[in-house]
Amino acid sequence: MTDPTHPGPEAMMGSTAGEFVVPSAEDQAAVAEVAGLDKPHSLGSEAWWQMRRRPMFWFSAGLIVLFLLMAVWPSLFTDADPRYCDLTQARHKPSREHWFGTDIQGCDVYARTIYGSRSSILVGVFCTAGVALIGSIVGLLAGFFGGWLDALLSRVGEIFFAIPTLLGGIVILYSFPSRPDTPYAIVVGKVVLAITLLQWPTIARIMRASVLQVMPHEYVTAARGLGARPGRIIVSHILPNAVAGVIAVATINLGVYIALEATLSFLGIGLQPPAISWGIAISEASRMGFLTSAPHMLLFPSVFLSLTVLAFIMLGEVVRDALDPRLR
Amino acid sequence: MRTRIRALSAAALVAAALVATGCSSGDPTPGPAGGGEVVLRGCTAQNPLLGLMTNEVCGGHVLDVVTSQLMRYDAETAAPVYDIAESITTDDAQLFTVKLKKGYLFSDGTEVKAENFIRAWNYGAYAPNGMAQATFFEPIAGYADLQCPGDDCDANKPPKEELEGLQQVDEYTFTIRTTEPTSNMELRLGYTVFAPLPEAFFADPKSAEFGRTPIGSGPYKVTSNTATEIVMEPNEHYTGAFKGKVDRIVYRIYDNDSSAAWADLLAGNLDFNDIVPGDQLVGDAWIAELGQERTVVRTSGTIEVLTVSPNDPQFKDNPKLRQAIGQAIDRETITREIYGGSRTPATGWVAPVVDGYLADQCGKACVYDPVQAKIDYDAAGGYQGILSVSVNGDGGHKDWAEAVCNNLRNNLGADCIVNLTPDFRTLLNQARDGELMGLFRNGWVMDYPSIENFLTPIYRVGAASNYSGYNNPEFESTLTQAAAATNLAQANELYQAAEAMLAQTYPTLPMWYRTTPAAWSTRVDNVVVTKMGWIDATQVTVHQP
Repeated sequence: MTDPTHPGPEAMMGSTAGEFVVPSAEDQAAVAEVAGLDKPHSLGSEAWWQMRRRPMFWFSAGLIVLFLLMAVWPSLFTDADPRYCDLTQARHKPSREHWFGTDIQGCDVYARTIYGSRSSILVGVFCTAGVALIGSIVGLLAGFFGGWLDALLSRVGEIFFAIPTLLGGIVILYSFPSRPDTPYAIVVGKVVLAITLLQWPTIARIMRASVLQVMPHEYVTAARGLGARPGRIIVSHILPNAVAGVIAVATINLGVYIALEATLSFLGIGLQPPAISWGIAISEASRMGFLTSAPHMLLFPSVFLSLTVLAFIMLGEVVRDALDPRLR
Repeated sequence: MRTRIRALSAAALVAAALVATGCSSGDPTPGPAGGGEVVLRGCTAQNPLLGLMTNEVCGGHVLDVVTSQLMRYDAETAAPVYDIAESITTDDAQLFTVKLKKGYLFSDGTEVKAENFIRAWNYGAYAPNGMAQATFFEPIAGYADLQCPGDDCDANKPPKEELEGLQQVDEYTFTIRTTEPTSNMELRLGYTVFAPLPEAFFADPKSAEFGRTPIGSGPYKVTSNTATEIVMEPNEHYTGAFKGKVDRIVYRIYDNDSSAAWADLLAGNLDFNDIVPGDQLVGDAWIAELGQERTVVRTSGTIEVLTVSPNDPQFKDNPKLRQAIGQAIDRETITREIYGGSRTPATGWVAPVVDGYLADQCGKACVYDPVQAKIDYDAAGGYQGILSVSVNGDGGHKDWAEAVCNNLRNNLGADCIVNLTPDFRTLLNQARDGELMGLFRNGWVMDYPSIENFLTPIYRVGAASNYSGYNNPEFESTLTQAAAATNLAQANELYQAAEAMLAQTYPTLPMWYRTTPAAWSTRVDNVVVTKMGWIDATQVTVHQP
């Protein structure tokens, strides 16, 4: 296991995993004395060095940057208003004017596909953030303190873990339906909450396992011996060394959450129109009659959805490989 | 051993069944028509299965075969023919003498007598009973005496309990006297609200059981009624002329989604479906799939309107705003692109299939003119905030509602959204309870083929289907005059004048006249779609295997 107590210069520059490997100066001194190790690279900087050698990283990162741009700044890609639909132009094949054709209402499929990325990215990012946050905290507490707290948190996690995510999502969202005049943020928020609620135990388990792995190390014992409080031990020693697995899995899961959102929206209970989302677009376009009369309606949102999910899963794999020395 | 015994007994059962039905396994020709089971597309009824309560098609389709009335409408022409009535005679269109056929039985074996009509109608008209369809009895003399003074039935009981205009002559004869001459009385009497009710009903009128499995005098009776299907089997006591051919009718309920029913039809699990999903209508994909011999597009007495919510403060007393919205809807393009031409843009409130129909009654609000619409819309103050268009999700209405919203958004700049309710019942309940704002869908399938049926039950004060809350004394008096007119031409003229009054305030915006596109499975024959847009379940037959 790489010791993070002597961060190299690259890590200080704030690369992908830079923040969590920077311990406070006095701790560095304290632990360095005990451990007596002297390595030039931190976990983060080494991972970064590993990742940038791989073409898959650049490919997936490029795609993700592209989709992020779409989500943040869709007007960069299209001038068309995704909500402007002209029924006289319904179901046109892709053309110079409408690159991806038009849908049954005569809306521009290209514009709707570009604008649809925002919902997917928002759901993906917020779910990942929520799951990582809740999961990490629960996992840290359970692993670090052990005993009855561990038993309690683990059992609670298992309860949620036992609920199939899709089924649970349907039940939750069906119980709290959105109306068409519900603000966009709340519509998205409900989906995020539902997914977060059902997914956090995955991360909590990973975190707990990592914590248990890190706990017996000498630098933890040393910090304890020097009288450090639990809070400091967790933040300075446990978390930085246990977080790698969480980051890798969370990145992979980001893609999974996006797919889950699309599935729920496809079933008509995730995001609701007038929100624009790929899941809704796919649901609309996959009615039997339209498969023959307007297949492009289904094709483009599906391709974009697949690419986004693929990009995040590929990035997640690269990150996992880079963070886990055993895989090298 | 156990499986073997099962297999043997199953084989024995099949053999017994073959003997019982008189079929030999090598018989290549289809057996005689008759028997078998048909599965019809259904939806959840809003009210108990009682003619006095049922004012929507989901329950109406069941009552069609479960009850019988004095008259029955011919499947092809919708003209009324005698059913329970032996004769109905009148000299002055005000006093009608009704003679009943003898030996006409309810499904519990009791006989239909004059008393069953009189008691049923009295019960329906008596306001404290709260029957939704009470206003259909309004023409009968003495109706006013059965209403609660001040419309407050808790405080004031009506002065009388029986309609003065109904008099029993003998067991099989009674007379109906109307307040004003009513020229189309005979025509009205075929509607299910005028069905007789058996003794068993009056024993416990509030019985939930009767509302689920009613006892009627129709060719079929309900044998089971659950949230997913209503099963009907022949009424063994039926002696009327409209006996059904099949042994079992299953009314399978599909809510939420019109494509589920469609998929079932294709898979052979459903025998008749009168809702073709929008995606199938495009380019007549559904006809190409099923062929001409399994499909029909029937012109029916049906109109679809967008009702302006009577509770929406922004629409209150603002006919100009309503008109501008009507004007901004491109009905021509919607009927062509969304419905593949199976709807015709409406130009009035009465469907063209009835006598007395007059085109262009709706005026400006039905003629697409986006430029003028925008000018009028702004002049009327526009609609602030979110304008919702509510439709039921189980009828395939989402696509056109979205198209309407796009029209309003593009042409007027209104912030329009589509509000989908899970099923038709929810939409009607929310409309009735005043929960819906903006615009909501209402469809009207005529109960009997008359211009009057498109006006009185929908726009008269207190009518169960008056969802727009329309209240216009001049309209009311014109309707009364029209009903009293002695010749048809004069009556029609007055009804047309009443219809034209709707164009002053636009309580509803006419959208289109519907044709009923219907499709059926390969198992059934003799499918006749009536002018009311539903299958005549008494004529359909099933191929015997």
